[in-house]
Amino acid sequence: MDKKATFSIKNLDLFYGKFQALNNINMAIHEKEVTAFIGPSGCGKSTFLRCLNRMNDLIDSVTMRGEIIFDGEEINRDSDVIKLRTRVGMVFQNPNPFPMSIYENVAYGPRCQGLKNKTKLDTIVKDSLEKAALWNEVKDRLNKSALGLSGGQQQRLCIARTIAMNPEVILMDEPTSALDPIATAKIEDLIATLKKEYTIIIVTHSMQQAGRISDKTAFFLMGEVVELNETPKIFTNPDDKRTEDYITGRFG
Amino acid sequence: MKRKTKDSIAKVMIYGATAITVCVLFFIVGFIFAKGIGVINWNFLSRDFNDQIFYAFVEPKETPLSMEQNDFEKENSYDKNYETLISGPIYNEKIGAGISAVHYENNADIRDHFIISYIEKDSPLKEAVESNQAPIKIKTDYVIESINGTELTGLSFDEVNTLLNDDGKTLKIKMISPGGGIKSNIITTLYMIGLSLLIALPIGIFAAIFLTEYAKKGRIVSGIRFATECLAGIPSIIFGLFGMAFFVVILKFQISLLSGSLTVAIILLPVIIRSTEEALKAVPKSFREGSLALGATKLQTIFKVVLPCAVPGIATAVLLSIGRVIGESAALLLTAGTVAQIPGTLFSPGSTLTVQAYYVAKEEGNIELACAIGIIIILIVIVLNMLSRMVSRKLDVFNKK
Repeated sequence: MDKKATFSIKNLDLFYGKFQALNNINMAIHEKEVTAFIGPSGCGKSTFLRCLNRMNDLIDSVTMRGEIIFDGEEINRDSDVIKLRTRVGMVFQNPNPFPMSIYENVAYGPRCQGLKNKTKLDTIVKDSLEKAALWNEVKDRLNKSALGLSGGQQQRLCIARTIAMNPEVILMDEPTSALDPIATAKIEDLIATLKKEYTIIIVTHSMQQAGRISDKTAFFLMGEVVELNETPKIFTNPDDKRTEDYITGRFG
Repeated sequence: MKRKTKDSIAKVMIYGATAITVCVLFFIVGFIFAKGIGVINWNFLSRDFNDQIFYAFVEPKETPLSMEQNDFEKENSYDKNYETLISGPIYNEKIGAGISAVHYENNADIRDHFIISYIEKDSPLKEAVESNQAPIKIKTDYVIESINGTELTGLSFDEVNTLLNDDGKTLKIKMISPGGGIKSNIITTLYMIGLSLLIALPIGIFAAIFLTEYAKKGRIVSGIRFATECLAGIPSIIFGLFGMAFFVVILKFQISLLSGSLTVAIILLPVIIRSTEEALKAVPKSFREGSLALGATKLQTIFKVVLPCAVPGIATAVLLSIGRVIGESAALLLTAGTVAQIPGTLFSPGSTLTVQAYYVAKEEGNIELACAIGIIIILIVIVLNMLSRMVSRKLDVFNKK
C-alpha cells in the first residue's frame, strides 16, 4: 500500500553565500515511517534536515531555490514559520534542555502557544514524558532542574518536549551521537515506538543505527542524494556503485 | 648561571609588584579607617548633617506626670563624643520630660546648652505640633533654645522649670535637632542608585538585546558599539556639564535628584550595555535553536530562555553600576548639588556620600569627617556587593541542579 507523502521536495538547491551545499535534491518522505539520512561529514544531510522546519532561516547567508511541499503548502512561501515548527518538531545533536525545571521544559512549547490551563498542561507533560519513556524516572522530581538529568535522560526530555507540541513530523539531527550505547539503545527503542504516531526523519553517522531503526535510507554525497531506497535494499543490494562503496567502507 | 640571574630578577619584579599592590591597598584602607573611625557612632549615622532649628508647640498637662525612676536615671541621651554633662537631669512634671545641662564642643563650636534627656511615655511632647499644626517628633537629644521667646542661655534649672510651668498655657519652644550625621547623604545615595538603575537598566538591557539578537552585523552595529565604547571612556565631568546644561537648565529640572540620576544613568549605559551584551553572547546557540524549533517566537525565546540565562551577567552589570553611582562625584556635584538633605521630591537637590566627602574635605577642611564618610562608602559597597552576589546566585538558572 502506498503511504501518503508528508514532504515532497523538488529541485532544491541551497547556498551558504557562494558555496553550494545542496544540489538539486528531489525526494518524497512518507508518513509514519522512519527515514534515515546517511553520508560522510559535510555532505549536506544536516543542512537538508534543517530546511524542513526552516531552521536555516537563522543563518543570514543561506539562499534557497526549489520547492519543499509540506501538507500541500510550499513551506518557504506559503506557511507561517511558527506554525510550521509546531507541526515539524526537531531534536538536536547535543541534548539542549533549557535551564529550568523538567516540568517547565516540557510545558514550554504549549505555553509559548498561549496554553495556560494548569490541568491541561499537567496532562500534556505527563503524556509526553510517558511517550518519551521518561515518566517513571522523573515523576518524583518534575520541579527539579533538567540540567541534573543524565545525557540520555536529557535527550529523551528533549524528545518529550517536542512530542508535547503534538507535531506530525519529528526531525532528529544525530540524536545519539553524544550518548553512550545504553542511552542510545533506549532512544532507538523509543524511535521504534514513536513511528506509529509520527513521521520521523533522522540524520545519523552510524550506518548500523540506520540499518536498525529506519524503513528508508537516503545516502547523501557532496550535497546530492545519491540514492533513496528501502533500508534493507540499501544495505544489501544498492542501486548505485557509490552507495555500495560507502556502505562497505571503501571511503567515508 | 646568567639565565638563572635573569629569571630571579624577573621573579623578584613579579612578586614585588604584587606586594606593592597589596600594601598600597591595605595602606589606603587602613589610613581611611584610622583617620575616620573615631567619628563614627550611631548618631553619625542617624542624624542629619546640619542642625535643624524649629518651633514646637506643646500643651502642658494639668495633672503632674510621674516618671519611671529607673529609665530616668539610666537615660542620659546626649552625644558623648562632643558633649559632657554639666548638671541634671531634672524632671519637669508639666511636660513629662527630663532636662540636662551639657557642655558642647565640636570643631570651633563651643557652648553650654540644655537638652532633653528623657521623655515620659505619655508626655505632651509626643503630641507637639509645628506652627502649621503638622505633628513633629521630638527626640531625646534635642537642644532647647528658648521657651516662649525667652533665651535659656545662662539660666538655672529653677528658672527653666518656672518658664515651663508658666500657668498651663501652650508653650512655644524653640528647639534644635542636632546635626553632624550623614543620614541624609546615605539616603540620597540609595535614592540615586535606585533611580539611575531604574532608568539605565531597562534601556541598557534592551539596547544589548538589540545589538546581540536583532542587529545585522555591519556598519551600524560596529558604529553603535564604537559609540558605547567611547561613551565609557569620556570623563564624567563632561557628562556633568552636559547634564547641567541640558537637564538642569534647558529642561528646567533644577539641580535635583532627577537631573543627577538622569546624568548618572547616561554614564551607566555603556557599562550595562557591554556586560549584558557579553552575557547574552555567552548563552549557547543551542538554547535559542531549541526554543525556536518548538515554535516559540523570537521574543518569547529572548525573554523566556535567553534573558534568564544572562541574569548573572546582568547582575554583574548592576554591581558595576552601583559602584559607578557611589563613586561618581564630579557629575553629581554639578547636577544634584551639595545640599545635605533628604530630597523630598524628584526636583529637590541632595548630596550623595561621595559628594559630601568631597565637600567636607574641600570646603570645611575636615579630613576626619571625610574619612568617616569614606568608611561608610566602603562598607556600603561591600554590603551591596554581597547582596547582589547573593541575588545573582539565587537567580542563576545553571546553579539549580
